[in-house]
Amino acid sequence: MTSSGDIRSGVRFNVREFTRTARGNHRDELHLDEFASAPLSDESLHAVRYLGRLESATMEHLRNLLVTATHKDARVTAFLVTWAFEKFWIADALDAVLEANGQPRAQAIEEGRTRTAHADARDRRGPIRRAVSAIRQGVPIIAVHMTTGLIDEWITRTAYERLSAVSKSPALAATIQLILDVKERHARFFDDEARRRLSESPRAVKLTRTELLHAVWPIGAVDRADSDRSFFERFVFGGSEGADRAALIGTRVAALPGMDARIGSTVAQRLLP
Amino acid sequence: MAFDVDKYTATSVSVNWDDLDLEKFRTEPLNETSLRTLRYMTDVEYHTVCYTRDLLTTPSHKEADMSAFMTMWNREEFWHGEALATVLGIHGVTVDFDELKANRLKLGWKDRLDPIKQSVLGKIVGNDFVAVHMAWGAANEWSAIQAYNRMAELEQDPVLAELLKRIAKQEARHVAFYTSQARDRLAKSKKAQVIARLALGKFWAPVGSSIMERSEVVHVMNHLMSGPEGRKAARKIDAAISGLPGLEGLKIVEDSLDKLGIAA
Ligand SMILES: [Fe+2]
Ligand SMILES: [Fe+2]
Repeated sequence: MTSSGDIRSGVRFNVREFTRTARGNHRDELHLDEFASAPLSDESLHAVRYLGRLESATMEHLRNLLVTATHKDARVTAFLVTWAFEKFWIADALDAVLEANGQPRAQAIEEGRTRTAHADARDRRGPIRRAVSAIRQGVPIIAVHMTTGLIDEWITRTAYERLSAVSKSPALAATIQLILDVKERHARFFDDEARRRLSESPRAVKLTRTELLHAVWPIGAVDRADSDRSFFERFVFGGSEGADRAALIGTRVAALPGMDARIGSTVAQRLLP
Repeated sequence: MAFDVDKYTATSVSVNWDDLDLEKFRTEPLNETSLRTLRYMTDVEYHTVCYTRDLLTTPSHKEADMSAFMTMWNREEFWHGEALATVLGIHGVTVDFDELKANRLKLGWKDRLDPIKQSVLGKIVGNDFVAVHMAWGAANEWSAIQAYNRMAELEQDPVLAELLKRIAKQEARHVAFYTSQARDRLAKSKKAQVIARLALGKFWAPVGSSIMERSEVVHVMNHLMSGPEGRKAARKIDAAISGLPGLEGLKIVEDSLDKLGIAA
């Protein structure tokens, strides 16, 4: 890895090391037989299924990123290739949990209808419109993708931690710990990239602020079923404790370079049921 | 025969070269011609993920099997780039992510418009267009196998040959996926056959043509695909492509060699 990047924040994330140590198939480490005597509740299974769908939507997400200048950054694409690989196996681990609980795999059953809310329109725009606006946006769009990637990691981590607590299942908790370990490096990469790019470019800040005022969470939610999204919002961010969790994410967003309390609270607001 | 995606994902690995004595190139280096060709191959492999973008702008990404394949395929191709970059590195040629970036930034309007064009086409003909992409992908993967085989033949170097053989073995699985997809989808639709024939006949060019300078394309084609043996390899690719439903008689590789002025 050449080190032409910013080193203010310490050692730059080592993409090559990441690609070399990618973690694949987890099936041997999942304690699946424990579910036979202690099956998960319907609610926990629903959360597992929805998280599985989110994790396996990498190719749809990649498509949206690659029609923009993000595809020109070979370091970022090298990361994304391995990121997609690791997420594939995270989704597979969640499928294994579903199967051990007598359920079909997450993608084996039809998803319900997507939401048609006006607020989602921006995220629903297809690859053509994304490609057209990307011509104007140029390289700073990469900062937007890195920042939304980071916030998405914060949101899904919150969801996994919630699921781990609610399920009261040591077997699921162990699987979730494994998943969070894998995802920790994804968050670290996005964190590095987002902070560096936002600090360096006012244009990146401007584009990111606009995006965050309209973004739908988690990434890819617009393609998911309305009923699953409502479930997720209630399950992770419902009630006063849930609102606190959303507010915490908002605070972290507000603290990113070039962001502020208004952006943070908008993101938090959009997580709520 | 149907392609078993579950089996493919379960057995997909990054190509391994730990046991190969690549260090020997320090005392027995490859020649300039080969290094230039290897550099081209490395860039093409690293760029694979960019082609994913075109494939994904069609409805194909909605299919779980397709997604699963693309995930592993991208990673295998990335590792082909890493393997070849290691060989180049031993020869003092550095191919780093940041350098590739510079290459990609050179791509002009043509590149920017490509995903838009692809999406529009994808919308117009819907699932039929996936068939075209699959046939296109098959042609590219067949080309990769022939290119690596030719390189191994020409170099006569046992260490390089073994590395290229391992890469080509993975390319063969890619071929299997793309052909089984193309065959099924083309067989189902006369319209898809017509469009595939038109697209490949009119627009196909040797892998890498859209990202590399023309001089580099000519160099690689001259190196690997010229002369009687080169033509024989080209005809093998053409024979495979023209074996797909509706593509009988196409000879896109030979035609493109003629267009580039590569001697038979
Ligand atoms: Fe390859
Ligand atoms: Fe390949």
